[in-house]
Amino acid sequence: MLEKTISRRTLLKGMTVSAGVFALAACAAPVAPSAAPAGGAAAPAQTPVTVLLWSSFTGKNGETETELVKRFNESQSDVVIDYQFQGNYEETAQKVTAALQAGTAPDVSLLSDVWWFKFYLNRALLPLDDLLNAQGVDVNDYQDSLINEGVRKGVHYWIPFARSTPLFYYNKEKWAAAGLPDRGPETWDEFMEWAPNLAEMEGEEMKTAAFSHPDGASYIAWLFQPVTWQWGGKYSDPDFTMHMTDELTVAAGQFYKDTVHTYKWARPSKDVQADFIGGLTAAAMMSTGSMGGIKANATFEFGTAFLPKKDHFGCCTGGAGLAILSRTPAEKQSAAMQYIAYASSPESTAFWSQNTGYMPVRKSALELPDMKAYFDAFPQFKTAVDQLPLTQPQDSARVFVPNGDQIIGKGLERITVQAEEVATVFAEVQATLESEAQPVVEALRAVEG
Amino acid sequence: MSTGALQSKRVSPAERREWWLFLLLVGPNILLFAIFTYWPLLYNGYLSFVRWDMLAPVKMWVGLDNYRFLFSQPEFQLILFNTFYFTIASVLLTIVLGLLMALLLNQSLRGRNAVRSIVFSPVMLSGAAIGIVWIYIFDPRYGLIDALLGFIGLNSPNWLLDGAWAMPAVIIVHVWKTIGYAVVIYLAGLQAIPRELYEAVVVDGGGAWSRFRAVTLPGLSPVVFFLVLTTVLTSFQSFDIIKVMTNGGPVNATTTLVFYLYEEGFVAFNAGRAGVASVLLFGLMFAFTLVQMRYEDRSVHYA
Amino acid sequence: MTSATHLVQESKQTSTKVSKSATTHWVGHQQSLVGRTAAYLGLTLCVLLIGLPVYWMISGAFKTPQEIYSVPPTWIPSQPTLASFPKAWNSAPFGRYYINSFIVTLFGSGFEVFFAVTSAYAFAFLRFPGKRYVFLLLLAALMVPVQVTILPNYLTVARFGWINTYQGIIIPGASVAYGTFLLRQYYRTLPTEIMDAARVDGAGHVRTLVSVVTPLAKPAIVSFALLSIVAKWNEFLWPLIVTNTKEMRVLPIGIYWLMVEEGTIDWGVVMAGTIFVVLPVLIVFLYAQRYIVDGIAAGAVKG
Repeated sequence: MLEKTISRRTLLKGMTVSAGVFALAACAAPVAPSAAPAGGAAAPAQTPVTVLLWSSFTGKNGETETELVKRFNESQSDVVIDYQFQGNYEETAQKVTAALQAGTAPDVSLLSDVWWFKFYLNRALLPLDDLLNAQGVDVNDYQDSLINEGVRKGVHYWIPFARSTPLFYYNKEKWAAAGLPDRGPETWDEFMEWAPNLAEMEGEEMKTAAFSHPDGASYIAWLFQPVTWQWGGKYSDPDFTMHMTDELTVAAGQFYKDTVHTYKWARPSKDVQADFIGGLTAAAMMSTGSMGGIKANATFEFGTAFLPKKDHFGCCTGGAGLAILSRTPAEKQSAAMQYIAYASSPESTAFWSQNTGYMPVRKSALELPDMKAYFDAFPQFKTAVDQLPLTQPQDSARVFVPNGDQIIGKGLERITVQAEEVATVFAEVQATLESEAQPVVEALRAVEG
Repeated sequence: MSTGALQSKRVSPAERREWWLFLLLVGPNILLFAIFTYWPLLYNGYLSFVRWDMLAPVKMWVGLDNYRFLFSQPEFQLILFNTFYFTIASVLLTIVLGLLMALLLNQSLRGRNAVRSIVFSPVMLSGAAIGIVWIYIFDPRYGLIDALLGFIGLNSPNWLLDGAWAMPAVIIVHVWKTIGYAVVIYLAGLQAIPRELYEAVVVDGGGAWSRFRAVTLPGLSPVVFFLVLTTVLTSFQSFDIIKVMTNGGPVNATTTLVFYLYEEGFVAFNAGRAGVASVLLFGLMFAFTLVQMRYEDRSVHYA
Repeated sequence: MTSATHLVQESKQTSTKVSKSATTHWVGHQQSLVGRTAAYLGLTLCVLLIGLPVYWMISGAFKTPQEIYSVPPTWIPSQPTLASFPKAWNSAPFGRYYINSFIVTLFGSGFEVFFAVTSAYAFAFLRFPGKRYVFLLLLAALMVPVQVTILPNYLTVARFGWINTYQGIIIPGASVAYGTFLLRQYYRTLPTEIMDAARVDGAGHVRTLVSVVTPLAKPAIVSFALLSIVAKWNEFLWPLIVTNTKEMRVLPIGIYWLMVEEGTIDWGVVMAGTIFVVLPVLIVFLYAQRYIVDGIAAGAVKG
């Protein structure tokens, strides 16, 4: 029968095909890092070391970081940085955590203010002092408030790179239309007088808000932190005693709630930066790191100012730094530090900060001629740098408690979005923070004694 | 399976060859399931009894602490509520709207096939891409929905940022994306109803309604069972749309069990709580499927 | 559901004709002008409900940024522009994403189809002690949401050294329960005479599978293959987790990041990007929708 002879052939063919499928899948090799050195035995001296760098920037900031890596790779022939974008700060930290499990962690990773500590606690970060010395890096030239945040027990683990602070941004056109002076409000009380003139209604709907609050995912807990300080409250003490339910912390929360639900000139937003660029909010507190994107996209003049005061002035640091993972092989460690030193050098930080709005992390960068010229050309950025010496380190509840930022952030969303009772919400947040802090306190005791 | 056991039943060599062939054909498939589906289930069960941040070298045994913790949290009750809200609303909308659309598309109308294609097409599209498109559509200022509501003089709610509207929004998208599937299955069911049954009703002088009551509905009952089963399971698992559109927010308004599981496992790194959530999720799905299968076995027996 | 199985049996080459004629027999008569008008209005409503969001995506991709952010929104791009497309293409390595999506889909679906064809044959035609329970074991996998398995699977894949590799993306999803179920149902509807004839001819099981069953079941296999292709193409969460270089990412992840990156600042670019993701699937759908729809319907109409 014809059918049978065919069937035999079909069968054989089928088997070959399926075997091929297996073979192909099995052989599909992992994609090698783009610039992997080829067979090094012949000329070991000339074989560059490839260092894997994971990072988190998109848009304008991502382009600038890519450019920085490119300049580094072209500047010397010993080290090649393989740069890989891993999503936002949270996603990068997730990838690093997962990769540590898998033994596929990068050599250098960008880690944000709320994440590096977790890796430190798990002994996943390399102490950097010897490497810093070997590279001849002057740690005293870094902005003290920034470099000291990455120090535990006198040892450096986390080198400032993309560090930022909250900053008050305002739309000059809206300011002029409301007849306001061309400056930020000195105090929140002053802003409360201005705000009703800034908000534009269209029937029942608010077309332009005077001010906008981000959501938890966009770090409302970071931006609200200085506000609690301005009111005289705080999230917590360094020893993890929580202060969410303190009268003054609750009062600051009540103010945030009132801006939306009582005064009705502020609103919660999914993307404050886009709203500001789109003219949908007249002012907002945003990271200095948003400045590059705003400058590139806004079609109007914008101004920047120190954060408004209440009873006190308060402003925190933020952003991300670079760390070397402790499993990085010895031969790559100094190459990794070579990149970190380059990326945070006065010249690089000047280039980086001018393009992104992140803080120049080196004191001497402020004295560079092109930095001075930039300050003159773009005073909005000067404001941010001037505010830097006034900043304080962040509360442990946000940066050291696992997911503390998101726990507080969700609480704040409940207040701004859902108009829930501030005291009740903060009490729940406090309870959660306390129970989540417990393992950290224990781990700290184990790690630091 | 020892050979002794096989021999005691006096198995013929031919039969034994058949068993081996069976194992050869089914084995790889089952093996992969064992590694990548069943082992993870067991492992999650184990994780639900430990505290582990996915970095520490040791997993600390905490007994039922994770379960106690979750069930004492009001947040977790909300998450369970959200899961049922999302599932029930999605299933009801899909079952009812899908039937209406299918009845319509079963008529001999011009352009019917083109409309069927359009109705079905969202099923084929990437959930991530669809979610992104709908963020734009739901935008209260320059989105499609606002433009449509504008025709009847209404303002759009701030869908994705309003705790009361975010869930309806993701349900709308989920139903929009999956309804074509229900329509296709209804249509298959409708076409499988023997037309003699309709003719009998017509001969008896019955109208459209009695045709529907006496023939269509009973004829569709197995299809409805099947659809309830599959839409419950797919709603339970819906993830892409929520991840892309709301990321579980505002606050926890759209956090379902699956989303919570992802958040605890891959964002907060509480492997223990993720373990509890996955044990629960699987338990719920398993129980539902068992009930459904039993009921189906008893109530509809064809062929 | 005997009529359905007959339909399926006859449908080898003529499935479209059969199903069409089955519907037109009993509907269509006795319809008043009012009824027909209402029906066409219903059709229009269906098209609008399902089609408008897709239209919004397409029109958004052709609008200038200024027009996208104008309030109220415009229905037709007043100055249509193609500028968003190159902008989207250049803001992410879409070429690479296409290649990766293609590879992952080809092999992912290849495995699924192979396993479905072989496993289904074993379940439909081979004897095996406790076969029913093995089948249930397989079906139970349908109830395990991918999200549940992700954390343990990540650890497993890491142990195999497969993170950020094609096999790491493909293998954990290579086994198949739905397709096995689907094809088993279909195989069981095949006329027993044909099977008997093959056996009388002395054909073994392997030959029967390859030369008798597979050709007869071709429509069902093609249907399942297309469903599998679409599912693999759209897969989101697992590739998101298991890849960590841009060289290995697939399209749905590319579009997700394009949105994260461009955000609500340039919807035109993001809409252009979503078109990159959905276009190939829509083309496949237009070309082969009959198979896809049949495949889905076959899953419901069980014997």
